[in-house]
Order: sequence, then structure tokens, then C-alpha cells
Amino acid sequence: VRGLPERPDAERHVRAGQRLAWISIVYLASTVVLLFMVMGGSQALKTELVEDALSFIPPVLFLVSDRISRKKPNREYPFGFERAVSVGYVGSAAALLAVGIIMLFDGALKLALLEHPSIGGFAIGGKTVWMGWLAIPVLLWCAVPAHFLGRAKARAAKPLHDKNLAANAEMDKANWQSAGAAMLGMVGVSFGLWWADSLAGVLISLEIIRSAWMEVRMSLGDVMDRRPMTVDEQEDDPISDRIDELFRKEPWVRDVVVRVRERGREMTADAHVVPVDNHVSVSDLSSTGERACKLDPRLAEVTIAPVSEIPEDVARARRSEQA
Amino acid sequence: MRWATVILALSTVAACSLPRDPEGTTERIAKEHVLRVGVTNNPPWAEARGDTPAGIEPDLVRHFASSIGAKVVWRTGSETTLAQGLKHHELDLAVGGFDAQTPWVSITGVTQSFIETPDKKKHVMLTAPGENGFLLRVDRFLIEQRHDPKGIAP
Repeated sequence: VRGLPERPDAERHVRAGQRLAWISIVYLASTVVLLFMVMGGSQALKTELVEDALSFIPPVLFLVSDRISRKKPNREYPFGFERAVSVGYVGSAAALLAVGIIMLFDGALKLALLEHPSIGGFAIGGKTVWMGWLAIPVLLWCAVPAHFLGRAKARAAKPLHDKNLAANAEMDKANWQSAGAAMLGMVGVSFGLWWADSLAGVLISLEIIRSAWMEVRMSLGDVMDRRPMTVDEQEDDPISDRIDELFRKEPWVRDVVVRVRERGREMTADAHVVPVDNHVSVSDLSSTGERACKLDPRLAEVTIAPVSEIPEDVARARRSEQA
Repeated sequence: MRWATVILALSTVAACSLPRDPEGTTERIAKEHVLRVGVTNNPPWAEARGDTPAGIEPDLVRHFASSIGAKVVWRTGSETTLAQGLKHHELDLAVGGFDAQTPWVSITGVTQSFIETPDKKKHVMLTAPGENGFLLRVDRFLIEQRHDPKGIAP
């Protein structure tokens, strides 16, 4: 199947990811509605609401992208459709970053203008309760299920090599920080500390900016064909070196430069090879290529280009020059 | 478990004197027994041309003031003057046919509505911004009025 790592359990993890995406969508709808009901004039709750509203994008993209990336390549899109997903994530990360910055200014301005948030009563079950108190269980609902959802997403992201799902998992796991900040803001306001609310709003917007920045970097790296990184630790992925080693052990190879790029969940590699004695046999080429392709389930294609000399720009991708 | 304790503690505290007013409106009223109310002419909600304001909302305000043991000091003015007065804490409350869609929400507090008219307008009052303890008291009063058998009709 295109767009999926070749491992027997891949489909199972995709289904888990899809289920989690649907759960996220329903769950976020509930948090957005609840926050809207209790937000009153609170800047912190408004920021939390905006964050949750934008959190719809990653699970929706996950569901959409899974359909798109399975489409077969054609004459117009000879390399398939995996990149469509990366483009979607660049857009959503940029939107998140912009909104984070707007909310940061919004909150900072309210602090600077000494704006006191007005939070009044809410009629519930025949009683009128201060909305600030209602906000606290709502914020707990924003924080706790999100944490477990994030952990489940992280578990599905790794075998799928899905960076976007992994980033979304991180965001979900970190949501308790913004919900916690909003709770502290609300408690502060209840004690008459009007600035606690806007301050919490500023902290939440900083958290939005932080995660948006992480996503912008990641998704831009993807579009820019950055050297692959591991999904969880964000370190250089050893795959390039492993392919390099495999080529170097071949008796017909004198020199090689391997370049790997990620396209969504898949990777493709191209290898410029200088053969021994300027001679190459087609059967050597294809057998080496096939074995290289089997090194890692994420590798979809290995293209080998026999050359008499490594082109200058390609040679710059060598390991020694990266150090 | 720890959260449960915190929430329990919070709700116990909430029952007493929280939320507080950053500018001390509730305490000031308790001490001076004066409620400073702005009114703008907008019949039938508020008739501000006579010596003492009359109409649905001034009646409600007098009722509220007596419930908290305060007498009303009226000030008439345009919506803008009243909103500025609330913003600078020179007024506690303002009435004059405001509805929940009021643009003054950006600088003043807005209460819960006490009636929804057939044209889908939810009528509210404005309060000094951020005086949440006071706002909550007004909200409690107005929500009770919704169920008042005598009813409020324009």
C-alpha cells in the first residue's frame, strides 16, 4: 500500500490513528462548546478556546491525508501524493503560529491597559453559580482526557513513522499546562487579582506559539527534503548511514553518496554510485537496490545512479561534511 | 484525589466571599449603603427625563438596592458617558435598555439577562468592569426576577 510503512501491523496502527482522530474531533467539539459557555470575559479561557478550536485541524488532516496519500502516482503527479499532506501541515502550523502571536498581543494589551475581566453568574439547576467556578471542571475536562489521547496517539505514531501525528500527540499531552494556567488565572481572579487572567492568557498563547513553532519547523523541514529525523527523539535517523554502509560492502561499489528524503510517512533514497573499474552490471544494480529497499519498512524506493564521479553538489551531502 | 481535595476546598471557599471585587465595590456598598447607578433615556426600559428615573429597569434597580440595603444615587447621561463612568469606577451599574449584544462589553461588565423580548433581544444591565462579586450578586438578583410571578413586560 502506498503511504504506509511496509509492516504487517501498519493497517492496524492506521485504524488506531483514525479512531483517535475521530475521538479527538468529538472531544474537541465538547471542550469548545463548554469553554464557550463558561468563558465570560476571561482572556485565559478565550485563548484556551481558540487553541482548542485550532486543534481540530491536525486530526482532520490525519483523516484526509490518509485518503490522499494512498492515491497512486499518475502522469501529472509522477511521485504520488504524499507531499499533499506535508503542504497541509505547513498551512495549519502557520495558522497556529499566527493565532498564537495574535493572542499573545491581545493578552499583553489587556495587561497593559489594566483591563479587569468581568466574569459573572451562570444559571445552572435553579442556582446561580459564578462562571469562574464552572470553568475549573471544564478546564479539567480539557486537560485530563487530552493527556491520555496524546499518549495513545504517540503509541500509534511511532510504528507509522507519522511525524504529524507525533507532534499532535505532544500538543495534546502538553494541554494540561495551558488548562492549568487558566485554572490558576481563574482562582486568581476570584481573589480579586484581575491581572491573573490576562497573565494566564499570555502564558497559554506562549504555549501555542511554542508548539506552532515546532510544527512549522517540522513541516517545513519535510517540504524542504531535510535529512530524516526520528519521530520521537527528533534526532538524525540512522537510515541514511545504514543504506550507505550496505552499498559500501558491495564489491562492485567504489564510492557512494546516499541521500534520503521523507515524503509523508514514506522515505525514498537515491544513491550516486561510482562503480569499480567504471563498469556496472544490471543484475548487481538491481540486487543491491532490492536489498537496500528491504533495510527499513519505511523505504518505498531506492534509485541508483551509476556515475564515473560523484557530482560536486551531491558530494556535499556526505556525512563528513555535515559534521 | 488531590484534585478532588482542591476542588472541594475551592467550592467551600466559593460559598463564602469569593469572587472578590478588585476595586472593592461590594465592600463599599456594605459600608456606605449607596448604589451609584447611571441611567440613559430609553423608554419603556428607562424613563430618565423626570426628576426620578422610572420604568422597568429603574424599578428593578430600586428593588435590587433595597435587597442589599442600599439607596440609589442616580446619574443620567448618554450611553457613552455611562460606559465611561463604569469603566472608571465612578458608577456601579448602568441601565437603559441595553441588550446582550451591547458593544460596551469590551469595557464594562454585562449582567445576565432578566427578560427576552419577542424580538429575541436579551435585556441586560451594565456593571463596572471586573467587579465580579458585585456582578454575581446582580446576576443572582436578575435571574430570580426571570421567575418572578408578577413578571416583567415591556
